[in-house]
Amino acid sequence: MIKKDVVIIGGGAAGLAAAVSCREKGIEDILIIERESALGGILKQCIHDGFGLIKFQHSYTGPEYAHKYVDQVEKQKIPYFLDSMVIDITNQKVLTVVNKSGLKKYKAKSIILAMGCRERTRGAIGIPGSRPAGIYTAGVAQNLINIHNYMIGKEVVILGSGDIGLIMARRLILEGATVKMVLELLPYGSGLPRNFNQCLFDYDIPLYLNHTVVNIRGDQRVESITMAKVDARGEAIPSTCKDVSCDTLMLSVGLIPENELTKMAGIKLDPLTGGALVDEYGQTTVNGIFACGNVLQVHDIVDNVSLEAEYVACGVEKYLSSFLKPKNDICIELGEGLQYVLPQRMQFLDDTVFSLRVSKPGQKKKLVFKNDKSIIKQKTFLRVNPAEMIRIKLTTQELSGTNGLKVDLES
Amino acid sequence: MKREFICILCPNSCRITTEYDNNGIKKIEGAQCKKGKEFINNEIENPLRIFTGSVLCEGGDYRLVSVKTTKSILKKYMKQIALKTHQIKLKAPVEIGQVIVPNIMGLDINLVATRRVRKFH
Amino acid sequence: MRSQDRKFDIIIIGAGVIGCSIARELSRFKVRVAVLEKESDVGWGASCRGSGVIHAGFNNQPGTLMARYCVKGNQSFHKIAEELNIPYKKIGKLVVAKKSNEIPALEKLKKQGKINGVENLKIVGESEIRNMEPNLQGIAALYSPETAITSPFLYTIALAENSLQNSVQFFLNTQVKKITKNNKSQFYLLAHDNQFEASYIINCTGVCSDQIAGMAGIPHYRIYPCRGEYYVLDKNAASLMNHLIYPVPHPKEGGLGIHLTPTVDGNILIGPSNEYIEKQEDYAVTMEVLRKLCLEAQQFLPAISPKYFIKNYAGIRSKQTPPSQGGYHDYIIEESPEVPNMINLIGIESPGLTAAQPIAEKVVSIIDKKEKLVHNQDFDPYRKGILRFAEQDEETQRRLIQEDSDYGEVICRCEQITKKEILQAMDNPLGARSLISIKYRARAMMGRCQGGYCLTRIMELLREKYNYKWDDFLLRGAESYMLTGNRSNGESDL
Repeated sequence: MIKKDVVIIGGGAAGLAAAVSCREKGIEDILIIERESALGGILKQCIHDGFGLIKFQHSYTGPEYAHKYVDQVEKQKIPYFLDSMVIDITNQKVLTVVNKSGLKKYKAKSIILAMGCRERTRGAIGIPGSRPAGIYTAGVAQNLINIHNYMIGKEVVILGSGDIGLIMARRLILEGATVKMVLELLPYGSGLPRNFNQCLFDYDIPLYLNHTVVNIRGDQRVESITMAKVDARGEAIPSTCKDVSCDTLMLSVGLIPENELTKMAGIKLDPLTGGALVDEYGQTTVNGIFACGNVLQVHDIVDNVSLEAEYVACGVEKYLSSFLKPKNDICIELGEGLQYVLPQRMQFLDDTVFSLRVSKPGQKKKLVFKNDKSIIKQKTFLRVNPAEMIRIKLTTQELSGTNGLKVDLES
Repeated sequence: MKREFICILCPNSCRITTEYDNNGIKKIEGAQCKKGKEFINNEIENPLRIFTGSVLCEGGDYRLVSVKTTKSILKKYMKQIALKTHQIKLKAPVEIGQVIVPNIMGLDINLVATRRVRKFH
Repeated sequence: MRSQDRKFDIIIIGAGVIGCSIARELSRFKVRVAVLEKESDVGWGASCRGSGVIHAGFNNQPGTLMARYCVKGNQSFHKIAEELNIPYKKIGKLVVAKKSNEIPALEKLKKQGKINGVENLKIVGESEIRNMEPNLQGIAALYSPETAITSPFLYTIALAENSLQNSVQFFLNTQVKKITKNNKSQFYLLAHDNQFEASYIINCTGVCSDQIAGMAGIPHYRIYPCRGEYYVLDKNAASLMNHLIYPVPHPKEGGLGIHLTPTVDGNILIGPSNEYIEKQEDYAVTMEVLRKLCLEAQQFLPAISPKYFIKNYAGIRSKQTPPSQGGYHDYIIEESPEVPNMINLIGIESPGLTAAQPIAEKVVSIIDKKEKLVHNQDFDPYRKGILRFAEQDEETQRRLIQEDSDYGEVICRCEQITKKEILQAMDNPLGARSLISIKYRARAMMGRCQGGYCLTRIMELLREKYNYKWDDFLLRGAESYMLTGNRSNGESDL
């Protein structure tokens, strides 16, 4: 068995930032394990810009953003394996890695989970109808177009107004396809507001809120779909059914953190985030195993992934120098108006950046952090949106002496 | 005329409302920085966008080089530039920032590579 | 192809599990056999769409062929599974009564099973059910330890491959359009522009069998298509149950009721439903049925939740009984008097998979009586399938990668399928290379991400190994183009 101080599973945005940050803190013995043939993760196929506005005050494309970190990894000679898959992981931090050179086992002092997420599929949401060619999730479509130089369709209907769907709507139009419409189940859009502007409105693509797809027709290839309005419970209203002819149905109906390995290690997950239960350093319920990036919570801005990974690197450094002895065990109570809050528990009451998402869009809302005695922090927002993650820092001072913490969204 | 825009320049996505007529903009409200104000000036008359796309590359470890315009261009040129990218075939290696098409559309803006493509062994 | 190459002693129409079983049985003898299949691969009718259950035989009326062949097929399946190198798990079945007025039905089934020759049937009570299935709700159950599961598509593929090994020829994408006979009693089959010739025809075309019989001049068979829809559940749900779980069947329904079936790969199937349909091969799933399936499943296993769902699909039963009647009609396996030397297999619905081998033996005996078939000394019953890397122990995995580094590249993350297995699936003896054909053979794309990660990688392998152009990528049938073109060719599109 080969011993390692830090093994990072995943060489995408989170894994790369974690690796570079660990090295900056002086950790030498790092290994990144990446399943693809190149580092960069999903950024490699995100050829649009808008990455790095917070971290670098510049708008980079995905590949450029990835390159900034890959460049550092190369310069700092941080070891990494490509085309390598972790097929097993135990709560003793033993990893089994498979690649062309063989099957090897690693005993890690600490592990950073950075496996990212997968897309929700047609099968998972149970769209009725036939199963012809021409049904793609947006990420797969993006890969086929931007990496493999293929066109996936000529007349496309998009289900789901998540960012990937919006970005791909624009891409499809620019590459000569027709995008007939974007259908969104909810009464509001799921993606970032500026993406509605520059991907849909710019190209006169109609957006139908409160709508879904209730049937797919076509024996060999998609021939048409049936769209329908939904009621307040999200149930289709039969009288509103309308057939739309198309040859492609593209799905952008949500991302699911890829936590199969996490479960293998016996780590507890939070059903609200789909990711691991963590403390303020991103440490999971198994000591020495940390999580960051989309595997922990689905992000909308890659800069936040990098910032989250840097924070985890702090935790790893403390852990390796045995300075991470838990002093408290405070569970964060989720109040009104919020989908989730991360971290879910506090062990150290150090400076903590909280990530959270609101349940519904709203205006003039106040985020309030209360401990058992009083309000310790509050912030007003002109506009809140489930699609836009809120990150807010509470300092050691603000947190000191806290026995219990509750977060609410008030009007 | 009154209009509301969503600024696309940064994640703040400021909702900017403007009042304007043939003589120009009378009022701008809601921008959190001056870039936003600039954005609105353009949005009304000459909307500008950064173009991103890809071009074919031979002999490299990627089949496509992702590209972008160095500055935003008129929105109405986006499709034309996309068509232009279909006509280009590069040869590996390609570096990030390498100019693929200088002075695209006759403007002082280049189309540059945003991906490094190494020669395929 | 020369016309001699299309002349056979026996032509089997339909390469489902029945057609391929018959092909294999016939290849034990010195006869020239061909199988004509309209789809791009074998088993794409009912064969690959069922639950994969090897039934014990207590559900079938005593004295019927269904009963006789089911029991025989069940009791000898372990041998076939070994010869063909396919999965076989004897996990047992519980037919569960939820109300006390259903218990007499359990007694009846047990009695029926005994008459049919089924072994080890036992009625169990509530506490024993709890022991066997902690998540299950029921007051009594019939326990059938002899009920087993296999992979219906691997079974069909294995039968076909073994037949090929033993010199049977397969013609895929070959739909028979016309059947005529000359004055020497030779059959002519027209399929596309090809004309085939044979002394015997065996009609195993499932839901189309009445049509094919009609083509040959036999008008009196009638098939009523009856669709069954399914849910496939994530492997994470596997811990919810250990046995097949069925409700007490109701005689009026044309099926066994919605049941819960573990698969050999560790998924769970909910279904099939039961719906007579108009169109012969409409495999769509419907909103109403999907809802019903979910609710009925939760009645037995309340822990079942939509978070486990990864896919839906449908299959179609070839029923001989009309909607007004429901129930079952026994298998018809006969040479009809109107057209000698044409053997028609009509209405081979469940337990068709279980009964396939005995059915094939019966068909061979019909021909043997007339022709006195001569044994083929070179017949080899053994066929090797694709080794599943994920199922091997670590030592073996290490060795495999050492011997062939393609085992070291995991392509399908969810199911841990390696490049080696996918290449083997692509390189199959039938030459079936659509994405679904590769999926059935390698298991790639059958996991929770449904190809989200591996689809593009599999397409890249196809491009590398077979120089695929954009229009070579097919999902399933000959027109199921995955792509509509290249993005750009580096030339002017104008």
